[in-house]
Amino acid sequence: MGLPFLDSFSAAAGRGVWHADELGLADAQVAATGHAALDAQLPGGGWPVGAMTELLQTAPEAHVWRLLLPALAQAVQARGGPVVLVGAPYEPCGPSLAAQGLPVEALMWVRSEAPAARLWACEQALRCADIAAVVAWLPQARVGELRRLQLAAAQHEVLLFVCRPESAALSASPARLRIRAGRCESDASQIELHILKRRGPPLAAPVMLPARNERMAALLAAARLRRKLRLQQSGTVPAGETAAPSATVVRIDAWKGGGPDALDRLAVVA
Amino acid sequence: MHWIALQWSLDADMPDAPALPTPESLGWWALQYTPHVAWQDEALMLEVSACERLWGGRLQLMRQLLAANPAPDVRMLGAQGATSLIALARLRLFERDENRPQDIPAGLPLDTLSAARDHLDLLARLGCRTWGDVAALPRGGLTRRFGTGLREALDAAWGLRPESHAWLTLPDVFEQKLELPALAETAPELMWSANRLLSALQIWLRARQRGACALELQWTLDLKRFNGVNLPPHQQVTVRTAEPTQDMAHLRRLLSEKLALTTLAAPASWLRLRTLETDAWAGASTSFLPEDNRKGDRLHEMVERLSVRLGAQQVVVPSAQADHRPERKQAWRPALQKENAPAKARKDEKTAASQPDAIYPPWLLPEPLLLEMDGERPCYRGPLSRLIGPQRVEAGWWGDKEDGGQPAMRDYYVAESPEAGLVWIFRERPSARFSSGEVRWYLQGFYA
Repeated sequence: MGLPFLDSFSAAAGRGVWHADELGLADAQVAATGHAALDAQLPGGGWPVGAMTELLQTAPEAHVWRLLLPALAQAVQARGGPVVLVGAPYEPCGPSLAAQGLPVEALMWVRSEAPAARLWACEQALRCADIAAVVAWLPQARVGELRRLQLAAAQHEVLLFVCRPESAALSASPARLRIRAGRCESDASQIELHILKRRGPPLAAPVMLPARNERMAALLAAARLRRKLRLQQSGTVPAGETAAPSATVVRIDAWKGGGPDALDRLAVVA
Repeated sequence: MHWIALQWSLDADMPDAPALPTPESLGWWALQYTPHVAWQDEALMLEVSACERLWGGRLQLMRQLLAANPAPDVRMLGAQGATSLIALARLRLFERDENRPQDIPAGLPLDTLSAARDHLDLLARLGCRTWGDVAALPRGGLTRRFGTGLREALDAAWGLRPESHAWLTLPDVFEQKLELPALAETAPELMWSANRLLSALQIWLRARQRGACALELQWTLDLKRFNGVNLPPHQQVTVRTAEPTQDMAHLRRLLSEKLALTTLAAPASWLRLRTLETDAWAGASTSFLPEDNRKGDRLHEMVERLSVRLGAQQVVVPSAQADHRPERKQAWRPALQKENAPAKARKDEKTAASQPDAIYPPWLLPEPLLLEMDGERPCYRGPLSRLIGPQRVEAGWWGDKEDGGQPAMRDYYVAESPEAGLVWIFRERPSARFSSGEVRWYLQGFYA
């Protein structure tokens, strides 16, 4: 940045030069992730379309829908085809996904156990013009095979997400974007996203995302409140005979003012 | 009218003369250029006046015909003329390497006219050498002396009389047999010969404006008994595709996947390809906008290819069902199967499925998992604490064996496991008639 010749060169070459200390520009289409905090950290502001995105998780089912669902729903709406799930670990629940914007009809599940069959199915799905996205679970894929998928995705401009175990974090990968998703140790309601590879500087602190969608969070909060009130009622009925009503109000305020730790303890008691 | 006469000159004396395709298959090949094709004596006649524009003119059509010779090892001769007899006569001259006369048709030698061949000696003694000499003879005398055939042929050659031909037509059902060049021991070996049948099928489909929906490839087994087992005379595989297609690459891939999974009961000697179902070919309409024309396969082609290799049960799509038990709220059916529910029922299901239900987990277990108990509390990777619930489900009391056997009376809870995060569990509600009395907890889904 500070070097004069580099500045003049970049001015001449236009936008063709990417400084490694700033976030890269997307040279292709991107699909917004639906999470503003994550969008801000991704080159171009979204999942790259026509390139592989790798998700590394502790369990194959963890955080997938929470991370991908907004982008998948958007892709289905825009392109109209189904989302192909290759080797999903469990049965995806249609009603739940439909409630979050991904219609039931837009799912296609390839139930295949053999790694070679999964790779083949994945490549065939990428070659199809009518699909919206491919989500594949490839725990045993090698670099060469991933490279092949990456090329197929680039050729046909499809969203491709590959879910792999966390142990693959240290090995090389052709994916343009690699993200390790894990539960936050200190706060169970947050997901920690470590961006292992992107076109940009390494990320110092992980991106935090809420682990539950809005409705679930609201339900949890409501249930907590209800439990608290119930506890209070059962607690105050014997106390109410002796103490004044104002004391009860004070107690409610005290409970409301309590931190999340106190509430959690309450939940355990309930 | 404009006619093209084609002939394949075969040296019968050559010891290793290449085999010529059957007249039927040559006729089929010619039918892809024009619908008017007929065999006349030794030559294949094509009437092209209506279709030469399509192929870019006469010269271009001739070039294409010569380039697409169906028997590449055999020299193909071609000649053109205003009527079929002129084209045929010029072809015969061309075959004998004689120069064609200036004046056509009057100057053509008499022996190139099929109708005059019986009377060549007599006509020569009359001093007639060319078509024009005979045509100049008085009509009445000529008809009385040589019969009506010669005069009619001359009239047809001059275009004074309509020609009538036995036009080649394609059968209603495609069915072709082919003898294998060698006995085939394994099913994939059949593919090479099946390719030839498929290219014939493509011609048939194009000429009849049809698309193939279902094909049957049948092979004749060479043995009647093998290892002490009586064998059937034939074996076959059937290939189906969801939408009518003329794309042989897709059918070939489906066929080779099917053949790869097939074992021959005995070596095969003959191969037969038959269409079981065809449909009118609609063609494809493409968009002018570049973003609408994405390259790649069609969806049904991908589904068929995956299903044929992995098995139809491995490629599934969900459909919403009207039931409250979560495991029955959706049914997975093979993606190959067409949805056959009536439109109204489907609409109802759609509205039912679109009711937002945030409490359902995105992942369901295939079977509810019976949880271990720690005193009163169920455990899954640590003791579970119930956060939301109960949500009561009572369903299936009407059911018999297919409907799950016994009614589902469950209380659903969202619970938190210290290691697995949020999970969806249910308690089977004890009921006097259907349960053994003890409380059982099950895990049915993950919120992840």
